Amino acid sequence: MSVKIASSINPDIIQAIQEVKKNIGSSDSRLIVYFSSMIYNQSELAKAMKEAFINADIIGCSTAGELISGKMLNNSVVVMALDSASIKDVKVEVIENLKENPDPQASFDSFEKYFGQAVSKLDYKKYYGLVLIDGLSNSEETLMERIGTKTSVHFIGGSAGDDLKFEKTYVFANGKVYSNAAVLVLVKSNTEFDILKTQSFSPLSETFIATKVNEEQREVLMLDGVDAIERYASAIKKSKEDAPASFMTYPLGVMIDDEPFVRSPQQLSGNGIKFYCNIAEGTELTLLESKDIVEDTKEAVQKKLREFGSISGLINFNCILRTLELKAKNEEDAYGMIFSDIPTIGFSTYGEEYIGHINQTSVMLVLK
Amino acid sequence: MAGKIKQQLDALIAEVAKNNPILVNTTRTKMILKGINPNKFTQDSPDDPVILEKLKDIAEAFGVKLR
Repeated sequence: MSVKIASSINPDIIQAIQEVKKNIGSSDSRLIVYFSSMIYNQSELAKAMKEAFINADIIGCSTAGELISGKMLNNSVVVMALDSASIKDVKVEVIENLKENPDPQASFDSFEKYFGQAVSKLDYKKYYGLVLIDGLSNSEETLMERIGTKTSVHFIGGSAGDDLKFEKTYVFANGKVYSNAAVLVLVKSNTEFDILKTQSFSPLSETFIATKVNEEQREVLMLDGVDAIERYASAIKKSKEDAPASFMTYPLGVMIDDEPFVRSPQQLSGNGIKFYCNIAEGTELTLLESKDIVEDTKEAVQKKLREFGSISGLINFNCILRTLELKAKNEEDAYGMIFSDIPTIGFSTYGEEYIGHINQTSVMLVLK
Repeated sequence: MAGKIKQQLDALIAEVAKNNPILVNTTRTKMILKGINPNKFTQDSPDDPVILEKLKDIAEAFGVKLR
């Protein structure tokens, strides 16, 4: 068995780890990936995880909700163990002081030394990267842009959460806990893999050009030369005052080959709109309308399942805004059931990473 | 003058993607997320100095020297 999963809702760290260890067993795990609620003392949990899986590399992050095959969870820890049937080799790096210097170069130098080949030369069909980022660092765009210019290997992942407190988020690597940091993992895969991106939105006919932005603050000040909120409100046929209530249902997207890369409005900022990720000036944006998350995700996963024949493991980085919508519609169980027959873990993120930093999306690593 | 943006975009994408169609798509996506949509420029597009400067910065980040 190349991939094993386990979870615990036991609030006691020692007992939770014992439960996880019992279900994972004493396999020769190469990489342990875990996502944990803020109910746990993160440092103690990280140490206990390292003691439990002493020979494996271990990564993870704090969440705004967890996912395991068949269920969406809260106040839990979910764990995936990947062994040598799944992974040929793996190297874990941490970027500290992320806000001050979101530069992956030192990590990439270390990867080159370890794998004996420059990351820019690595085959994107044989390697994949995972990236877990402090979800309150506002550094995701810069880090992902820099990663993207240095390699063709896809790094996917998510921004850590803190159960919607928005105070402090954590990433974990090999028994240590970090804030203002990102964990980068480069994996030489022993199995075929692919990346699924599903956002459950349809494009509408309204388009805009971001004519004035403050990229650092993730603010769009003007759309089509007028105040952003005025243009957005007219597009969704609401008043400026009522428009923010529709932000979640009608986000904007950068359309690339008919696929939206979602940019979610967060709140008003004067007459501009603050987003959950930045938008470059001059970018063409399309108004999006939400679709059925459960049906859309089920279709995407089933399609990949048919293509692969079977899926040995799946890691799901699912936006917290999607989770909130699922909760509001009482569809958490239906969403969890999509993954009931697939060894899956995941978490509700403060942002998803795939090529760039995106919102209201589910990005999944799928292992054959 | 016209056409330089299109010419430089084509050169940059060709250098990064090495004619691999999947990498061509990924590179185009990276450019679009950075605010430059390669599909929007033709041989007739004016040589906007602001876009050319932005393109030069993006090329530098990719480690590509544009002529």
